[in-house]
Amino acid sequence: MTVQMLSTKAEQAILASFEANAAKLPGGAAVAALRRAAIGAFASKGLPSRRVEEFKYTDLKANVKDVLPLATGGGTGDAATSLGAHFGPEFAANAVVFADGRGVAAKAGVTCLADTLGNAPDWVAAALADAELSASSDLLLNTALFSDGAVIDIAAGAEVAEPIVIVATATDNAMTALRHVIRVGAGAKATIVEIERAPEGSGARQSSALTQIAIGDGAEVVHIKVVETHKGSLHLSHWQVNLGANVTYKPFQMTLGEGLARNGLNVLFNGQHSTFDYGAASIVHGTGHADSSLIVDHKVPHCTSRELFKTVLDGQARAVFQGRVIVRPNAQKTDGKQMAQALMLSPDAEFDSKPELEIYADDVVCGHGSTAAEIDPDLVFYCTSRGIPTAVARGLLIESFIGEAIDKVEHEGLREALGGIARDSLTA
Amino acid sequence: MPAVQETVAQVKKIDVDQYKYGFETDIEMVKAPKGLNEDIVRFISEKKAEPAWMLEWRLDAYRRWRAMTEPTWAKISYPKIDFEDLYYYAAPKNSEGPKSLADVDPELLKMYERLGVPLQEQEILAGVKSDKPRVAVDAVFDSVSVVTTFKDELAKAGVIFCSISEALREHGDLVRKYLGSVVPQSDNYYAALNSAVFSDGSFVYVPEGVRCPMELSTYFRINERETGQFERTLIIAEKGSYVSYLEGCTAPMRDENQLHAAVVELIALDDAEIKYSTVQNWYPGDKNGKGGIYNFVTKRGDCRGRNSKISWTQVETGSAITWKYPSCILRGDNSRGEFYSIAVSNGYQQVDSGTKMIHLGKNTSSRIISKGIAAGYSQNTYRGLVSAHRKATGARNFTACDSLLIGDKCGAHTVPYIEAKNSSAHFEHEATTSKISDDMLFYCQQRGLSEEEAVALVVNGFVRDVLQQLPMEFLAETQKLIGISLEGSVG
Repeated sequence: MTVQMLSTKAEQAILASFEANAAKLPGGAAVAALRRAAIGAFASKGLPSRRVEEFKYTDLKANVKDVLPLATGGGTGDAATSLGAHFGPEFAANAVVFADGRGVAAKAGVTCLADTLGNAPDWVAAALADAELSASSDLLLNTALFSDGAVIDIAAGAEVAEPIVIVATATDNAMTALRHVIRVGAGAKATIVEIERAPEGSGARQSSALTQIAIGDGAEVVHIKVVETHKGSLHLSHWQVNLGANVTYKPFQMTLGEGLARNGLNVLFNGQHSTFDYGAASIVHGTGHADSSLIVDHKVPHCTSRELFKTVLDGQARAVFQGRVIVRPNAQKTDGKQMAQALMLSPDAEFDSKPELEIYADDVVCGHGSTAAEIDPDLVFYCTSRGIPTAVARGLLIESFIGEAIDKVEHEGLREALGGIARDSLTA
Repeated sequence: MPAVQETVAQVKKIDVDQYKYGFETDIEMVKAPKGLNEDIVRFISEKKAEPAWMLEWRLDAYRRWRAMTEPTWAKISYPKIDFEDLYYYAAPKNSEGPKSLADVDPELLKMYERLGVPLQEQEILAGVKSDKPRVAVDAVFDSVSVVTTFKDELAKAGVIFCSISEALREHGDLVRKYLGSVVPQSDNYYAALNSAVFSDGSFVYVPEGVRCPMELSTYFRINERETGQFERTLIIAEKGSYVSYLEGCTAPMRDENQLHAAVVELIALDDAEIKYSTVQNWYPGDKNGKGGIYNFVTKRGDCRGRNSKISWTQVETGSAITWKYPSCILRGDNSRGEFYSIAVSNGYQQVDSGTKMIHLGKNTSSRIISKGIAAGYSQNTYRGLVSAHRKATGARNFTACDSLLIGDKCGAHTVPYIEAKNSSAHFEHEATTSKISDDMLFYCQQRGLSEEEAVALVVNGFVRDVLQQLPMEFLAETQKLIGISLEGSVG
């Protein structure tokens, strides 16, 4: 075993923060032991540097210079303000709010993890101890530090009409860690929306959100995340998804702003004939950095995966897309397609793409594509020749580029809200 | 006989288990003691009668190598190589400095004849008409170059084509100027090892404005047991020149694994063009994965001048392990890099190969066409990097890498890295992986082809884009090779 010596100030501050807060963090002896094991593993790994392949383009060791104090509650927040202008009151009515790392506004059907930890149901306890989460140090940190999160258990056959909205807010200069544990029963239908946004003018924040979702046979789930970061902010998100048979899972992730955001997503196909249909749109400004890293693991035959990633970059912004599709030896009849596209609006923008195929079965159809380019001058010329001013023409082209991904969202209200947020960001 | 049937019939003559080039040549050898230390490096340098600066260069590389660790990022697995258990120098006893073909050991000539490598240039020199293409050959046997043909004729055009040992003696300044300027000693683990112990290889210098009058070719042969082969190739194309270079490799069948760690450096100055083609057919091991060559190669071309062009074409069918990424550094404005590759793996072969296109100059362009075919229990990975530097405005790249899987025990993987660091870069990448569709096979069989013929037809169609880039001399052999490599993989 190689033990890496802690070398950065940030890593040492994280360890100190854990020791200072360990007693305040929720959970009994079993959870405390999990936390202790996780921080121990983190201590030996350190923050991931570019030498860790999954973080090649998002070097947390170099980027995280300071660690903000851990918030474990005491904040206030209401859904309407936290959601912002584009989500209507129907979303606010169904929102559960986590302020400074603790649930403050509850909703029927959603319990707070901190309240259930003393007597956690078996499926929640099993999820928390999932060995898959010990692989990467960003996930280990969440296990060590999470202070609350949503527990959602949707019964088999239930059809939840309105989207369940999870909103996280925090005061400036604080670090938060949330863990959401979700189970969707067989044949159920639900839409889950996670929102992590900081209003204009917010100060530095550091947040981690880890969502574990297990979807039963025949269920249909739409899962949306909106992350908005400001300069100096850091958001580390990860979704760990287990799909049963005949599942339709449609995740969509939108990342905006000038901070550093990483969206990890691991999806495991455990049952046949399931579909994973992923869409992502990121609009990154200034010195922002948005990383979307997926691992799609086809363990069983007859499954379909689709990924469409679109990013618009200006200033010195940098976007990263890493999509690894694994087709295991017996996963015959897998159909996998992946597309990552970047539109670069300024000379100093950067797009790093690594679409990866790892295929061990022969009867499959898999493909990926990746493009990076500036706005096609021919298209702008076409518009201007028809009397549309250049600025408007560029705006239309950018909007239609990013709109292709947003159009994947079928829920009308959500699609309009996401479109509105994107427009605001593009005109900012 | 229809062309396809002819191809298949031709292929059938050679059993898949009978690697055609697997024979050994019994010849008296001079070897350095086993293992690697500074004395061995000195021994090699002394044997080659090298200038003092070269010895220092080698020792520097050796010291750097000692401080490095073996790379582990590639998708290949193999038992740890014991670098102390190898011979780093082996040469035919009477090989030092043959003046002409007459001085070469007849056993060696016989061996090259069996391999089908044309070393006999007499009949052409004597004015006898021949419809065979004329190719100048540098034949490298274990650690040394045994003979280079057509040297005199090339010299008339001003082209220098000789072994690198000879170049060090005769053209020391040129070698000193360019050696290590593309692949520095500490570039990677195997390049450092090669820099310390390389024993021979080819040197080509094409002067300004000269179009090399014939194809140049090097034929590498590993013969001796427990011997590593470390050759170094250096090609310099001066302003406005053109050269096409072919490389072929074979080795005897052995139960042990043998190491091959080569370095190739290409330098293209303003308006120059280098076309480098490889047919790599080292012994791949037997059907149970025993034996075979471990092929760790660093190949890199530097488009140093404006409007320069470097094109890599490779057909990889041999070796137990292939670790090889022929790359282009597109430094000169308007320079162009190309990479065409067919990698066929069968049995227990492991291929991790691809390319790097590093765009530094303005308006540079590159094109990558890679075709991977995996059969049997093999693993076939394409790994590539396309990057555009901040100042590389107008960089263009198109990449297409397709994989074909034959059988459900093999793996085909694609690991591209695409890094666009400025907005005017225009990068397109696409990749597909599939098996030969049952519909296609059915269609062919319905028209009277056997299953194997149908597979051969579909595979030849699959790799056509790359085959078109090969020089004529290699085309026929390559088509045959692909057939051989895949035989027995149907069903």
